[in-house]
Formats: sequence, C-alpha cells, structure tokens
Amino acid sequence: MKKKLISMLLAGTMVLSLAACGGGGSTGGDSGDGGDDAGSAEMGTSDDENTLTVAAWDPNLNIPALEAAAADYKENVNSDFVLDIKEQGGSQDVETAITTAASSGKYETLPDMVLFQDHWIRKFVADYPDAWQNVDDIDINWDDFYAEKIDYSTIDGVHYGVPVDGGTVIMAYRVDLLEEAGYTIDDMKGITWEKFIEVGKAVKEKTGKALLCMNSDGNDLMYMMLQAEGISQFKDGKPNLAGNDKVKEIVQLVVDMVNEGVLLLPNSWSDYTDKAIQGDQVAGVMNGNWIIPTIQAVDANSGKWEITTMPTLTGEEGYASNGGSSLYITANCKKVDLAKDFLAYTFGKSTVTYDNALKDGGVVSTYIPAGESEVYNEGVEFFNNTPIYAQISEMGAHVQTIEQSPFHYTCREKLGAAVINIVNGGDIDEEIQGAEDQLNFEMGN
Amino acid sequence: MENKKGMSLLEKQSRAGWIFLAPATLMIAVMSFWPMISAFLTSLKTGSSANMEWASPIFYNYTRMFADKLFLRSVGNTFLYLAIQVPIMLVLAILLAQLLNNKDLKLKGFFRTCVFLPCATALVSYSLIFKSLFATEGLINTILVNLHIISENYNFLGNAGSAKAVIIIALIWRWTGYNMVFYLAGLQNIEYSVYEAAKIDGANGWKTFWGITVPLLKPTIIMTFIMSINGTLQLFDESVNLTNGGPAFSTITMSHYIYNNTFGTGVANFGYATAMAFFVFIMVGILALINMKVGDTRD
Repeated sequence: MKKKLISMLLAGTMVLSLAACGGGGSTGGDSGDGGDDAGSAEMGTSDDENTLTVAAWDPNLNIPALEAAAADYKENVNSDFVLDIKEQGGSQDVETAITTAASSGKYETLPDMVLFQDHWIRKFVADYPDAWQNVDDIDINWDDFYAEKIDYSTIDGVHYGVPVDGGTVIMAYRVDLLEEAGYTIDDMKGITWEKFIEVGKAVKEKTGKALLCMNSDGNDLMYMMLQAEGISQFKDGKPNLAGNDKVKEIVQLVVDMVNEGVLLLPNSWSDYTDKAIQGDQVAGVMNGNWIIPTIQAVDANSGKWEITTMPTLTGEEGYASNGGSSLYITANCKKVDLAKDFLAYTFGKSTVTYDNALKDGGVVSTYIPAGESEVYNEGVEFFNNTPIYAQISEMGAHVQTIEQSPFHYTCREKLGAAVINIVNGGDIDEEIQGAEDQLNFEMGN
Repeated sequence: MENKKGMSLLEKQSRAGWIFLAPATLMIAVMSFWPMISAFLTSLKTGSSANMEWASPIFYNYTRMFADKLFLRSVGNTFLYLAIQVPIMLVLAILLAQLLNNKDLKLKGFFRTCVFLPCATALVSYSLIFKSLFATEGLINTILVNLHIISENYNFLGNAGSAKAVIIIALIWRWTGYNMVFYLAGLQNIEYSVYEAAKIDGANGWKTFWGITVPLLKPTIIMTFIMSINGTLQLFDESVNLTNGGPAFSTITMSHYIYNNTFGTGVANFGYATAMAFFVFIMVGILALINMKVGDTRD
C-alpha cells in the first residue's frame, strides 16, 4: 500500500512539474511568474519607469548609435534613464520577432522600441496595424529631415518612426585602380551608365577587377538605379515593370555589365562583403552609405577610396537611397511619453547624439542640421582625407521620393531572378513579364 | 478502497490499462494532433498572419498553389533531387555495406565509423562547409584550376545546373553512411550458411548478391526508400544554407519555399504556406503507400 502511495505521489509531482513547464511558456504575460526572465537576449519590456528596451542588431553600426543617444539623454535630461539594448543576431531576427509576436497576438514579447530597415514598415503596418503606436504628436520638426527618408515611415499621413541612419547611396571608387586605367574620380562624376561601362571595361582590362558588385540573391542595383531616375517599380500600388521602358533599359544595362565583366554578382551577401569587397575583387562599390564600414575594414586600402554620386541614364549626377533604419514604438510600450521624449530629444534634434553616432558607429544622419557640424566636415583618412560624411549629407537632400510598396523585397527578389535568367540567355521581355506576373501573384492581384 | 470491491479482476485491469494510456494519449493529442488540426484550419484561411479570415472559396489556398509557378518549380526541383539522389545513394550504401560486411576485412570498425561519420555533422554546418568548398574562390576551384581541368574559376553555386549538382553531391555525402548502417544491420541478420550453400552450388558474387542479399534485404531496402523519399521531400537546410534557393530560384525546395512564404521576404502568408505544407504531407503519404504496396511480400 505504501509503495503504491509513494509511486502515485511521484507520478503526481512529475505531471504537475511538467504542466508547470508547459504553462510557463504560454502564460508569459502573467504577473508574479518570476524565475524565467533571465537572459538579456529575451525581449520584452522592463518594469522600471526610467528604463526603455530596444531591439537592434549591428554592434558596429546601430548599437553604438543607440548607446550614444542613451548617454546623451542620460546626461542632459534624465539622470536615471537606462536604455536596455536587446542585441539581435541580425536584422532578420528583428523582423522575425515582429512577425511572430504579431501573428500570435503576443505583443508582450516585443521590447518598447524596435529598430528595423525602412522598407519593412509598410508591410508591417499593412499586416499588423495594432503592433505600432504612431508618433504624430512627437516634438520633432519633420522638415529637418530628408523628405525621402520620412516618406518611408509616413503611411497615410501618419508618422510611425523616428529616423536613425540614412541609406543615401554612395558610389565608391578605388582611385588608384581608376588611375591605372587612365581615369580620375572627377571623370566619374555625373556620367552616363554607358560611360561607366566604358570605364569599367578599361579597368577590367588593366587591373582585372570589376568596377561594380552586388550580391545576386538580394540585388538592390535596379531599385537604386531606378530611384536615381525618379522612377518606382510600383505605380498606384501595382507593379510597374512590364512595359516600363526605363525598367527594361536599366535591366538591360545590368545584364550588359555582367556580360562585360564590369559587374560582379557574388552569390550571397557574405560573398559580397567578405569576398568581393574585402577580398579586393572590385574597384567600385555602390550601395547605401552603411556599406562604408565594410569597405573600411581593409586597412591596406586606406587612402585609396573616394566617393562620388552614381551614374544615371542621362549623365546627370544620380541620387538614391537604399536601406537605412528607423526606431518604431511597439504596442507593448507602456511608457510612451518617455519613449517619445527620448526619441525627440536624441534622434529628433541632438547633434551631440548624431556626432557620437557617426564617430562610434559610422552612422550618417538624415537630420539635415547634423551635416553642418564639425565632425561631419572633417576629412576621413581612409577616403583620401575627403570629407565624405558632409558629401553624403549633401547628396541625401537630393534624393527623390518615389512610390514605396509593402512588397519591396518581393519585387527585388523577382527582378533579381529575372536578371540572372537574362544573363543565362533568357528573353528580356519575357523575364520582366514573368517577374511582374509572379509579383502580382504574391501580392494577390 | 471500498468502491473497488465491486469490480472484477478484468475490470480492474482494464481500468488500470486506461489510466496508464491516458497521459501519453493526452500528450500526443495535445502536442501532435491538435496542431495538425489547427494547421489544417489555418490552411483554409487567408490574410496577414495577425488577422486571418476564412478563404472564399474555402479551398482557395489549395487551388492557388497550382497556379504558382515558383511553387511548381520548387516541386520540380525537389523531385529532381529525389529521382537522382535517392537511387545513387541507396546503391552506394548497399555496396558499401556489402564491402564492410566482409568477414576478413581488417579495421572494419574504423571504416564503418568513417562512412557513418558524415551523419554526425549538423545539417547547417555541413551545408556551409560545402558552400565554402564549392565557392568561386574555394578549394574545389583551386584544385581544378591547378590541375588544368578548368581554365578559370567556375561559379558552381551561381549556375543552375552545377548548383543542383552540388546539392545532390552534398546530400549523397551526408546520407549514404546513414543508410549503410541499416543495410549492415540487415546483412548481419542473413545467415552465413546461406551464402556458403550458394557458393557450394557454384553461384558467383554477382549472383549471390541479386539472388540472396537483395531479396533478404527487401524489408530494409523498402524502409530506407521510404525514409529517403520522406527526407528528400522535406529537404530544407541544404537549399537554405548552400544556395539560398538560388540562382534565380533554380535550386529552391518545397520546404524552403514554404518557409519563404512565412518568414522569408516578409510575406507572412501563413495560410498559403500551411496549405502547401499539407500538399507535401499528402505527397509523402502517397509515395510511402506506393512503396509499401510495391514491396508487399504477401502474395
């Protein structure tokens, strides 16, 4: 009898403890359920009234910027302020966390604020309107920022985000390699793509290096080249690829560049950054200015790079923007006033924040007055002592606003595949039509 | 204990049996069957993952996938891997098992471990290793160029044909040893006297292989076939980590495409993705059924 009792008790405790395990996961929102909130990778908010949590991912770029802002706010506004940065493995992790939280309706798994790339916000607001708190009444003068930047996070007239870093496109060249081919950086300013290909061929012949590179599985070239022409891949919410002469012209240019060996298309992002750029396979890089730290990682090339504007179809100086991120306040944030005050004081108007963000993380602001500060106007040794940040700041103001779509990445994926297929012998009209069809299909049109 | 007095021994036993069964049954129902039912319901819905609505017509997601060129391509890719990789792998596995089953072979344990070892590597890590091996600046290219087999570095993962070949090679490397172990176990169940008898009757190696080994291994062969088909249809890690489905979706597998529709390019189309997953489930079921019917030993 005794044995039976003991075994019953044992079985009972086991079942109960297992049940407790199961319960802990699904009722994470319950109060007083302590014990399982260790580990800083875990997102969520803090109970402390002066602490804000934020998810970000890049220890070389946006995390130093957030730290700069936190220090600035702590020193000048609220000495008790703490910004708890939940570092994620990569930008995709932030996006996945948002998708998961919103899909399950468990917003309490999100931190007070999240940082992500601007192209996502339309998708996220369209899909998960309840996940965000608008910042319409925040104390920020939106006119102090690039109009193009603010346009991303303004949806139907409602502001959702506060800009952190910009994506103003730079065209960086290896001046020493250009020289070998008989050109200077000034020759590359305000040129047509035809001229660019001509120079590219010369560089290829003399140095064996391509003049441009882009990873083929996330090909941003077409987007940037189109934006420089002021053209969007979408029109009134619908894809605008097939039958669009400019799209065809640009796709054809990209294909020509690949075929001439002027453009290198590594297979993946890591091949692009580690092998193509840092492995010294290319004489030029065109992307959002956040690519600069990647270029700078090769000490041996210090002083050999310079930047200028990108080529266009007509030969005018080209301005575009790609990437860049903003901070968004989630539905889980209970301290909205503190969050807004923090954002307004730091990324909204503090040149101290922006100066330190630039110094520590290479974050180039989209706040126009920030570009006038001393830090921005210093020459950068790596780039032959040219004041590249002032240059970028100047370029950013010229970027044209074009129609954005929640399906930006879907479009990029399809158009990138079309380019590969055309390079491999596909028909350009058919492939662009195919990309548009598939895009329409996924958009549910 | 008063209440139990009225029960017969049989009743008591049956009751005890049910009590023992209950926890496991409950767990399976809650952890396995309920998610399946829930997934099926999701597959009948559309809309963003936060506010899903019933699709109209109700099987919209199921009809939709047959108009999806990318999904059909992913099905095609997966079946290509299946058709090429599974036969090669199983034949190799059976040959290796036969070799390593040799009674007179020295260092048998060592060789067996060597062949089985790839199976102990994690899917992601071996995919990444193959990726770096076959990279444009990778080891394979260096070797081939230095041996003057090719004149300049070839972008194996950037061309549709070679990228598929690399995936198949990787799969064969990873899974042959795994299947070999089953065959080895099967071979050890075959009495040596059967082979001796065949030898006395004058059968050569080839004849013994087809006349004895294969028929007696039939149950094992069918099992490995079903497992391989099942595994290949659910292929995911290689597609994601080795090629990322590229170039231009030419190596994407069904599971990878399903993943892309949930967490990939931000589409978060859970309903459609689940419907595709059910389609895969049905295909695995049908193929397994055919396999079992073909291999049925009862005449």
